[in-house]
Amino acid sequence: VQQHLQRLDGVAKAEVSLRDGKVVVTPKEDGKIDPQKVMQATYDSGVSVATMEITAAGTLEESGDKLLFRINPKLEFQAAANEQATKLKSQGSLGKKISLRGRLFQKAEKSPKQKTAPKLSTIEIVEIVGGP
Amino acid sequence: MQIKRVLSLLLLAGALVPSALAQIQRVEMRVEGMT
Repeated sequence: VQQHLQRLDGVAKAEVSLRDGKVVVTPKEDGKIDPQKVMQATYDSGVSVATMEITAAGTLEESGDKLLFRINPKLEFQAAANEQATKLKSQGSLGKKISLRGRLFQKAEKSPKQKTAPKLSTIEIVEIVGGP
Repeated sequence: MQIKRVLSLLLLAGALVPSALAQIQRVEMRVEGMT
């Protein structure tokens, strides 16, 4: 797992804890890393992912009735309408740079082990790390 | 003296820029099937 992840573009460090099944990937200084590629590389190494979370900076934007968290012009996720998203919206944080911890994937309970990497499209904001 | 101050401020700004622009700071996963 560690070797697969460290070969990826933009990865500075990959730490794997066998005891608790935790994998932490630290990107290089610019933070330009694609979580989908991290997910794919993990599956390519023969293990499946139960949860994936990122800590990232970006902007929360409204697009029609959807809320998008944009990390860069090529990387965005639809933000789930949860308490944290509502809080950010009501604080007037739309369009402003924010830092957050968000869940990109969580395997459904009791679902069988997936053999292919799931497609990441939504983010569930877990914690607001820094505001505008 | 003022030039020194300006230069040190510029150096400080340069040091701060990469972390301020960092897009993803950390990716954390729980994995299954690791032996």
